Amino acid sequence: MIRGRIIGEVWATRKHPAMAGRKLVMVEVIRAAEQEGGSGRGVPTGEVVVAIDTLDAAPGQEVLVSWGSGARNAVSPRGRGTVLADAAVSVVLAEVFEKTW
Amino acid sequence: MFLGRVVGTVWATRKDTRLDGQKLLVVRPYGWYLPPHDAAHVVAVDRLDAGVGDDVVVTFGTPARWSLGGRNYPVEAAVCAVVDRTEVDPAAWSDPDAPFCFEPGPLPKGVTPPGWKTGEGA
Repeated sequence: MIRGRIIGEVWATRKHPAMAGRKLVMVEVIRAAEQEGGSGRGVPTGEVVVAIDTLDAAPGQEVLVSWGSGARNAVSPRGRGTVLADAAVSVVLAEVFEKTW
Repeated sequence: MFLGRVVGTVWATRKDTRLDGQKLLVVRPYGWYLPPHDAAHVVAVDRLDAGVGDDVVVTFGTPARWSLGGRNYPVEAAVCAVVDRTEVDPAAWSDPDAPFCFEPGPLPKGVTPPGWKTGEGA
């Protein structure tokens, strides 16, 4: 999973039927701070990915995005293969403790 | 998945028979995201009849094959949504000096693909 912050939403009426009713959000990727004594805020990278959001996260919230089959399982717990998700919001972060060694 | 703009179409008569009748589009990812293969353009199969100039969401890997209805298609990227509009919260964007921009363009300096394989982005 990768860490990121929700920056907005994507609206689309013409979608693949397997994506009908799914909320699409844009997530800015955050990586861990490299310096000593990380503050827990991480470093925003400026990269944006689109993910399916099943947790109804709001813009500004930090989340973990899972990829590949993990995303498919996040969207459809019974693991149906026909869900079109290669990225999904699976965790909404409350607080992050970061420490560098 | 990533956001990109359709910049072209691919025509091919000699292709895998499982791709017969499928439309192939050239998609330029937005400058602030590089797909996992370090490419400036991605060719994606399209079942939603998107056209040049449209903004689309492209998915990679197995979900792309499932978009054609099975897992045995020689396809790795597929258009899964045609974007009507996007809504961005400027306060959530990291860099107030460089406002959020939807133009496809050269990648910002220092931007590397997220660690899909290595887990660097975690």
